[in-house]
Amino acid sequence: MVVPSGSLGTWETKSIVTTMFPLLVVLCVIVLWAGITLEDAEELLETYGLLAVMVPTMVDMGGNLGAILSSRLSTRFHLGTTEIDLKDRVLWANIAAVLGLAATIFTALAFGAWAIGQVIGAALPLSTLLIISLTSGMAVAVIAIIASVFATYGSYKLGVDPDDTTIPIVTNVVDVCGMIIFIGISSLVLGF
Amino acid sequence: MEFRREFWSIYRESLPILFIALGGGLFAGLVLEGMLESVERFPGLLVMVPVFLATRGNVYGALGGRISSGLHQGLIAPRFERNERLVNAVIASFINGIGISIVIGVISWGALNVLGRSSSTLVELVGIMLIAGVLTSFVMIGGLLLLIFTGYKLGYDPDNLVGPIVTTLGDIFGMAFLFLAVIIVEVLL
Repeated sequence: MVVPSGSLGTWETKSIVTTMFPLLVVLCVIVLWAGITLEDAEELLETYGLLAVMVPTMVDMGGNLGAILSSRLSTRFHLGTTEIDLKDRVLWANIAAVLGLAATIFTALAFGAWAIGQVIGAALPLSTLLIISLTSGMAVAVIAIIASVFATYGSYKLGVDPDDTTIPIVTNVVDVCGMIIFIGISSLVLGF
Repeated sequence: MEFRREFWSIYRESLPILFIALGGGLFAGLVLEGMLESVERFPGLLVMVPVFLATRGNVYGALGGRISSGLHQGLIAPRFERNERLVNAVIASFINGIGISIVIGVISWGALNVLGRSSSTLVELVGIMLIAGVLTSFVMIGGLLLLIFTGYKLGYDPDNLVGPIVTTLGDIFGMAFLFLAVIIVEVLL
Protein backbone atom coordinates (compact mmCIF):
# COMPACT_ATOMS: atom_id res chain seq x y z
CA MET A 1 0.00 0.00 0.00
CA VAL A 2 1.35 3.39 -0.96
CA VAL A 3 0.78 6.08 1.62
CA PRO A 4 1.24 9.55 0.12
CA SER A 5 3.85 11.79 1.69
CA GLY A 6 3.18 15.36 2.81
CA SER A 7 0.15 16.59 4.67
CA LEU A 8 -2.21 14.16 2.95
CA GLY A 9 -0.37 11.17 4.40
CA THR A 10 -1.12 12.06 7.98
CA TRP A 11 -4.28 11.23 9.88
CA GLU A 12 -3.41 12.95 13.18
CA THR A 13 -5.50 15.94 14.16
CA LYS A 14 -2.56 17.98 15.40
CA SER A 15 -0.40 17.57 12.31
CA ILE A 16 -3.32 18.23 9.93
CA VAL A 17 -4.04 21.49 11.75
CA THR A 18 -0.41 22.61 12.04
CA THR A 19 0.35 21.97 8.35
CA MET A 20 -2.89 23.49 7.02
CA PHE A 21 -3.62 26.44 9.27
CA PRO A 22 -0.67 28.65 8.17
CA LEU A 23 -1.62 28.09 4.51
CA LEU A 24 -5.25 28.99 5.30
CA VAL A 25 -4.14 32.26 6.88
CA VAL A 26 -2.01 33.10 3.79
CA LEU A 27 -4.99 32.36 1.52
CA CYS A 28 -7.24 34.60 3.65
CA VAL A 29 -4.84 37.50 3.27
CA ILE A 30 -4.79 36.98 -0.54
CA VAL A 31 -8.58 36.87 -0.83
CA LEU A 32 -8.97 39.86 1.52
CA TRP A 33 -8.10 41.95 -1.54
CA ALA A 34 -11.24 40.67 -3.26
CA GLY A 35 -13.21 41.62 -0.16
CA ILE A 36 -11.90 45.18 -0.18
CA THR A 37 -12.78 45.44 -3.90
CA LEU A 38 -16.30 44.29 -3.08
CA GLU A 39 -16.65 46.80 -0.24
CA ASP A 40 -15.48 49.60 -2.56
CA ALA A 41 -18.22 48.61 -5.03
CA GLU A 42 -20.98 48.84 -2.40
CA GLU A 43 -22.81 51.72 -4.10
CA LEU A 44 -22.59 50.04 -7.50
CA LEU A 45 -24.09 46.87 -5.99
CA GLU A 46 -26.86 48.78 -4.22
CA THR A 47 -27.82 50.51 -7.47
CA TYR A 48 -27.63 47.32 -9.55
CA GLY A 49 -28.64 44.47 -7.22
CA LEU A 50 -28.30 41.96 -10.05
CA LEU A 51 -24.52 42.40 -9.96
CA ALA A 52 -24.55 41.13 -6.35
CA VAL A 53 -26.43 38.06 -7.57
CA MET A 54 -23.55 37.36 -9.97
CA VAL A 55 -20.74 37.93 -7.43
CA PRO A 56 -20.39 34.45 -5.82
CA THR A 57 -20.30 32.74 -9.23
CA MET A 58 -17.74 35.21 -10.56
CA VAL A 59 -15.59 34.56 -7.48
CA ASP A 60 -15.81 30.76 -7.66
CA MET A 61 -15.88 29.94 -11.34
CA GLY A 62 -12.35 31.09 -12.26
CA GLY A 63 -10.99 28.88 -9.50
CA ASN A 64 -13.16 25.96 -10.65
CA LEU A 65 -11.86 26.26 -14.22
CA GLY A 66 -8.28 26.53 -12.98
CA ALA A 67 -8.74 23.45 -10.79
CA ILE A 68 -10.10 21.38 -13.72
CA LEU A 69 -7.09 22.27 -15.87
CA SER A 70 -4.54 21.93 -13.05
CA SER A 71 -5.70 18.47 -12.02
CA ARG A 72 -5.58 17.25 -15.64
CA LEU A 73 -2.14 18.74 -16.21
CA SER A 74 -0.75 17.32 -12.97
CA THR A 75 -2.06 13.87 -13.91
CA ARG A 76 -0.23 14.16 -17.25
CA PHE A 77 2.98 15.15 -15.45
CA HIS A 78 2.61 12.16 -13.12
CA LEU A 79 2.20 9.98 -16.21
CA GLY A 80 5.48 11.17 -17.70
CA THR A 81 5.01 14.38 -19.74
CA THR A 82 7.88 16.49 -18.47
CA GLU A 83 8.02 19.64 -20.59
CA ILE A 84 5.54 22.24 -21.75
CA ASP A 85 5.51 21.69 -25.52
CA LEU A 86 3.64 24.35 -27.47
CA LYS A 87 3.09 21.83 -30.27
CA ASP A 88 1.42 19.44 -27.82
CA ARG A 89 -2.08 18.99 -29.26
CA VAL A 90 -3.51 17.50 -26.05
CA LEU A 91 -2.42 20.57 -24.08
CA TRP A 92 -4.21 22.81 -26.59
CA ALA A 93 -7.29 20.58 -26.48
CA ASN A 94 -7.35 21.02 -22.69
CA ILE A 95 -7.02 24.78 -23.00
CA ALA A 96 -9.69 24.98 -25.73
CA ALA A 97 -12.05 22.88 -23.60
CA VAL A 98 -11.63 25.22 -20.60
CA LEU A 99 -12.39 28.22 -22.85
CA GLY A 100 -15.43 26.41 -24.25
CA LEU A 101 -16.66 25.62 -20.74
CA ALA A 102 -16.14 29.25 -19.71
CA ALA A 103 -18.09 30.56 -22.72
CA THR A 104 -20.98 28.19 -21.95
CA ILE A 105 -21.14 28.78 -18.21
CA PHE A 106 -20.79 32.59 -18.35
CA THR A 107 -23.52 32.77 -21.02
CA ALA A 108 -25.68 30.70 -18.67
CA LEU A 109 -24.78 33.04 -15.77
CA ALA A 110 -26.05 36.04 -17.75
CA PHE A 111 -29.32 34.26 -18.60
CA GLY A 112 -29.69 33.07 -14.98
CA ALA A 113 -29.14 36.57 -13.59
CA TRP A 114 -31.54 38.02 -16.17
CA ALA A 115 -34.25 35.52 -15.21
CA ILE A 116 -33.76 36.29 -11.50
CA GLY A 117 -33.99 40.00 -12.35
CA GLN A 118 -37.40 39.44 -13.95
CA VAL A 119 -38.62 37.81 -10.73
CA ILE A 120 -37.16 40.18 -8.13
CA GLY A 121 -37.75 43.26 -10.30
CA ALA A 122 -34.14 44.44 -10.51
CA ALA A 123 -33.79 44.22 -14.24
CA LEU A 124 -30.79 44.98 -16.42
CA PRO A 125 -31.03 44.28 -20.18
CA LEU A 126 -29.93 40.79 -21.19
CA SER A 127 -27.40 42.26 -23.65
CA THR A 128 -25.71 44.26 -20.86
CA LEU A 129 -25.57 41.19 -18.63
CA LEU A 130 -24.11 39.10 -21.46
CA ILE A 131 -21.41 41.70 -22.17
CA ILE A 132 -20.45 41.97 -18.47
CA SER A 133 -20.55 38.23 -17.78
CA LEU A 134 -18.74 37.06 -20.94
CA THR A 135 -16.06 39.78 -21.01
CA SER A 136 -15.09 39.33 -17.37
CA GLY A 137 -15.61 35.55 -17.49
CA MET A 138 -13.40 34.98 -20.52
CA ALA A 139 -10.71 37.29 -19.11
CA VAL A 140 -10.73 35.27 -15.88
CA ALA A 141 -10.60 32.01 -17.85
CA VAL A 142 -7.47 33.15 -19.71
CA ILE A 143 -5.81 34.14 -16.41
CA ALA A 144 -6.84 30.79 -14.87
CA ILE A 145 -5.29 28.92 -17.82
CA ILE A 146 -1.97 30.79 -17.72
CA ALA A 147 -1.72 30.50 -13.91
CA SER A 148 -2.58 26.78 -13.92
CA VAL A 149 -0.11 25.86 -16.67
CA PHE A 150 2.78 27.71 -15.05
CA ALA A 151 1.95 26.70 -11.47
CA THR A 152 1.54 23.01 -12.29
CA TYR A 153 4.70 22.99 -14.38
CA GLY A 154 6.61 25.01 -11.76
CA SER A 155 5.63 22.83 -8.82
CA TYR A 156 6.50 19.73 -10.83
CA LYS A 157 9.98 21.16 -11.52
CA LEU A 158 10.41 22.02 -7.82
CA GLY A 159 9.25 18.56 -6.78
CA VAL A 160 6.21 19.82 -4.83
CA ASP A 161 2.91 17.96 -5.08
CA PRO A 162 0.64 20.52 -6.81
CA ASP A 163 -2.41 19.19 -4.91
CA ASP A 164 -0.99 20.34 -1.58
CA THR A 165 -0.15 23.97 -2.14
CA THR A 166 -0.07 25.10 -5.77
CA ILE A 167 -3.69 24.43 -6.69
CA PRO A 168 -5.15 26.15 -3.60
CA ILE A 169 -2.93 29.20 -4.13
CA VAL A 170 -3.70 29.41 -7.88
CA THR A 171 -7.46 29.02 -7.41
CA ASN A 172 -7.50 31.70 -4.70
CA VAL A 173 -5.42 34.15 -6.76
CA VAL A 174 -7.74 33.55 -9.72
CA ASP A 175 -10.75 34.19 -7.44
CA VAL A 176 -9.30 37.59 -6.55
CA CYS A 177 -8.73 38.39 -10.24
CA GLY A 178 -12.33 37.37 -10.95
CA MET A 179 -13.69 39.87 -8.44
CA ILE A 180 -11.45 42.76 -9.55
CA ILE A 181 -12.14 42.20 -13.27
CA PHE A 182 -15.89 41.76 -12.72
CA ILE A 183 -16.26 44.97 -10.69
CA GLY A 184 -13.99 46.87 -13.13
CA ILE A 185 -15.87 45.77 -16.25
CA SER A 186 -19.28 46.29 -14.61
CA SER A 187 -18.42 49.89 -13.68
CA LEU A 188 -17.10 50.49 -17.20
CA VAL A 189 -20.13 49.01 -19.00
CA LEU A 190 -22.69 50.71 -16.73
CA GLY A 191 -20.74 54.00 -16.75
CA PHE A 192 -20.77 54.12 -12.96
CA MET B 1 -9.04 13.87 -34.54
CA GLU B 2 -7.26 13.46 -31.23
CA PHE B 3 -7.75 17.17 -30.53
CA ARG B 4 -11.50 17.00 -31.11
CA ARG B 5 -11.97 13.83 -29.04
CA GLU B 6 -9.97 15.21 -26.11
CA PHE B 7 -11.84 18.53 -26.28
CA TRP B 8 -15.30 16.97 -26.15
CA SER B 9 -14.37 14.46 -23.47
CA ILE B 10 -13.24 17.23 -21.08
CA TYR B 11 -16.18 19.45 -22.00
CA ARG B 12 -18.81 16.76 -21.48
CA GLU B 13 -17.23 15.51 -18.27
CA SER B 14 -16.98 18.93 -16.60
CA LEU B 15 -20.07 20.80 -17.80
CA PRO B 16 -22.70 19.15 -15.53
CA ILE B 17 -20.50 19.80 -12.48
CA LEU B 18 -20.04 23.46 -13.42
CA PHE B 19 -23.79 23.86 -13.92
CA ILE B 20 -24.43 22.54 -10.42
CA ALA B 21 -21.86 25.02 -9.10
CA LEU B 22 -23.61 27.78 -11.09
CA GLY B 23 -26.93 26.94 -9.42
CA GLY B 24 -25.34 27.15 -5.96
CA GLY B 25 -23.60 30.39 -6.93
CA LEU B 26 -26.83 32.06 -8.09
CA PHE B 27 -28.61 31.07 -4.88
CA ALA B 28 -25.72 32.50 -2.83
CA GLY B 29 -25.92 35.65 -4.97
CA LEU B 30 -29.60 36.08 -4.12
CA VAL B 31 -28.78 35.84 -0.41
CA LEU B 32 -25.93 38.36 -0.85
CA GLU B 33 -28.33 40.75 -2.60
CA GLY B 34 -30.71 40.43 0.34
CA MET B 35 -27.86 41.04 2.78
CA LEU B 36 -26.84 44.38 1.23
CA GLU B 37 -29.29 46.16 3.56
CA SER B 38 -27.35 44.98 6.60
CA VAL B 39 -24.11 46.47 5.28
CA GLU B 40 -25.06 49.91 6.64
CA ARG B 41 -25.49 48.42 10.12
CA PHE B 42 -22.23 46.43 9.91
CA PRO B 43 -19.60 48.27 7.84
CA GLY B 44 -16.91 45.82 6.75
CA LEU B 45 -19.35 42.96 6.30
CA LEU B 46 -18.78 42.91 2.53
CA VAL B 47 -15.00 42.59 3.00
CA MET B 48 -15.51 39.28 4.79
CA VAL B 49 -17.88 37.71 2.21
CA PRO B 50 -15.37 36.54 -0.45
CA VAL B 51 -12.84 35.50 2.20
CA PHE B 52 -15.44 33.49 4.10
CA LEU B 53 -16.69 31.75 0.93
CA ALA B 54 -13.15 30.97 -0.35
CA THR B 55 -12.16 29.55 3.04
CA ARG B 56 -15.08 27.10 3.04
CA GLY B 57 -13.65 25.71 -0.21
CA ASN B 58 -10.10 25.52 1.13
CA VAL B 59 -10.92 23.78 4.44
CA TYR B 60 -13.55 21.31 3.30
CA GLY B 61 -11.92 20.70 -0.10
CA ALA B 62 -8.90 19.46 1.84
CA LEU B 63 -11.09 17.25 4.06
CA GLY B 64 -12.86 15.85 0.98
CA GLY B 65 -9.53 15.13 -0.73
CA ARG B 66 -8.27 13.34 2.37
CA ILE B 67 -11.43 11.24 2.78
CA SER B 68 -11.39 10.37 -0.90
CA SER B 69 -7.72 9.20 -0.75
CA GLY B 70 -8.53 7.27 2.42
CA LEU B 71 -11.38 5.46 0.69
CA HIS B 72 -9.18 4.63 -2.32
CA GLN B 73 -6.48 3.22 -0.03
CA GLY B 74 -8.94 1.29 2.10
CA LEU B 75 -7.89 3.23 5.22
CA ILE B 76 -11.45 4.23 6.05
CA ALA B 77 -14.82 2.68 5.30
CA PRO B 78 -17.63 4.57 3.52
CA ARG B 79 -19.84 4.94 6.60
CA PHE B 80 -20.14 7.02 9.77
CA GLU B 81 -18.22 5.03 12.39
CA ARG B 82 -15.70 5.50 15.20
CA ASN B 83 -12.74 5.06 12.91
CA GLU B 84 -9.80 6.86 14.52
CA ARG B 85 -8.56 8.33 11.22
CA LEU B 86 -12.00 9.59 10.24
CA VAL B 87 -12.59 11.12 13.68
CA ASN B 88 -9.16 12.82 13.65
CA ALA B 89 -9.69 14.28 10.18
CA VAL B 90 -13.15 15.55 11.14
CA ILE B 91 -11.90 17.15 14.38
CA ALA B 92 -9.05 18.82 12.45
CA SER B 93 -11.58 20.28 9.99
CA PHE B 94 -13.69 21.68 12.82
CA ILE B 95 -10.60 23.32 14.34
CA ASN B 96 -9.39 24.68 10.97
CA GLY B 97 -12.84 25.82 9.84
CA ILE B 98 -13.85 27.56 13.08
CA GLY B 99 -10.34 28.84 13.84
CA ILE B 100 -9.92 30.44 10.43
CA SER B 101 -13.37 32.07 10.72
CA ILE B 102 -12.16 33.92 13.82
CA VAL B 103 -8.97 34.89 11.96
CA ILE B 104 -11.07 36.31 9.08
CA GLY B 105 -12.98 38.55 11.50
CA VAL B 106 -9.74 39.78 13.08
CA ILE B 107 -7.78 40.46 9.87
CA SER B 108 -10.77 42.12 8.16
CA TRP B 109 -11.17 44.42 11.16
CA GLY B 110 -7.39 45.08 11.16
CA ALA B 111 -7.28 45.81 7.42
CA LEU B 112 -10.25 48.19 7.61
CA ASN B 113 -8.62 50.12 10.46
CA VAL B 114 -5.18 50.23 8.83
CA LEU B 115 -6.78 51.55 5.61
CA GLY B 116 -8.70 54.10 7.66
CA ARG B 117 -12.16 52.89 6.62
CA SER B 118 -15.29 52.70 8.70
CA SER B 119 -15.58 49.38 10.45
CA SER B 120 -17.88 47.57 12.83
CA THR B 121 -16.41 46.67 16.21
CA LEU B 122 -14.03 43.74 16.46
CA VAL B 123 -16.57 41.87 18.60
CA GLU B 124 -19.31 42.30 15.97
CA LEU B 125 -17.17 41.08 13.04
CA VAL B 126 -15.66 38.15 14.96
CA GLY B 127 -19.09 37.30 16.40
CA ILE B 128 -20.64 37.11 12.93
CA MET B 129 -17.76 34.96 11.61
CA LEU B 130 -17.79 32.66 14.67
CA ILE B 131 -21.53 31.95 14.46
CA ALA B 132 -21.43 31.50 10.66
CA GLY B 133 -18.28 29.37 10.91
CA VAL B 134 -19.66 26.99 13.55
CA LEU B 135 -23.02 26.49 11.79
CA THR B 136 -21.37 25.99 8.37
CA SER B 137 -18.85 23.48 9.80
CA PHE B 138 -21.54 21.13 11.05
CA VAL B 139 -23.56 21.16 7.84
CA MET B 140 -20.52 21.05 5.52
CA ILE B 141 -18.78 18.16 7.29
CA GLY B 142 -21.97 16.13 7.70
CA GLY B 143 -23.19 16.82 4.17
CA LEU B 144 -19.80 16.26 2.54
CA LEU B 145 -19.25 12.90 4.26
CA LEU B 146 -22.81 11.75 3.51
CA LEU B 147 -22.54 12.65 -0.19
CA ILE B 148 -19.03 11.20 -0.64
CA PHE B 149 -19.95 7.93 1.14
CA THR B 150 -23.20 7.57 -0.81
CA GLY B 151 -21.47 8.39 -4.12
CA TYR B 152 -18.65 5.93 -3.38
CA LYS B 153 -21.10 3.12 -2.57
CA LEU B 154 -22.95 3.85 -5.82
CA GLY B 155 -19.67 3.45 -7.71
CA TYR B 156 -18.64 7.09 -8.37
CA ASP B 157 -15.00 8.12 -8.02
CA PRO B 158 -14.97 10.39 -4.92
CA ASP B 159 -12.14 12.44 -6.50
CA ASN B 160 -14.58 13.78 -9.08
CA LEU B 161 -17.27 14.53 -6.48
CA VAL B 162 -15.33 16.54 -3.91
CA GLY B 163 -14.76 19.80 -5.82
CA PRO B 164 -18.32 20.43 -6.99
CA ILE B 165 -19.90 19.25 -3.70
CA VAL B 166 -17.68 21.61 -1.70
CA THR B 167 -18.23 24.62 -3.99
CA THR B 168 -21.99 24.17 -4.15
CA LEU B 169 -22.64 23.35 -0.47
CA GLY B 170 -20.14 26.02 0.57
CA ASP B 171 -21.85 28.74 -1.46
CA ILE B 172 -25.37 27.81 -0.41
CA PHE B 173 -24.84 27.15 3.30
CA GLY B 174 -21.96 29.63 3.69
CA MET B 175 -24.12 32.55 2.53
CA ALA B 176 -27.29 31.35 4.26
CA PHE B 177 -25.55 30.97 7.64
CA LEU B 178 -23.67 34.25 7.15
CA PHE B 179 -27.04 35.97 6.74
CA LEU B 180 -28.40 34.18 9.81
CA ALA B 181 -25.28 35.13 11.82
CA VAL B 182 -25.77 38.80 10.87
CA ILE B 183 -29.37 38.67 12.12
CA ILE B 184 -28.34 36.94 15.38
CA VAL B 185 -25.56 39.46 16.10
CA GLU B 186 -27.94 42.33 15.25
CA VAL B 187 -30.37 41.08 17.91
CA LEU B 188 -27.74 40.24 20.55
CA LEU B 189 -25.49 43.31 20.35
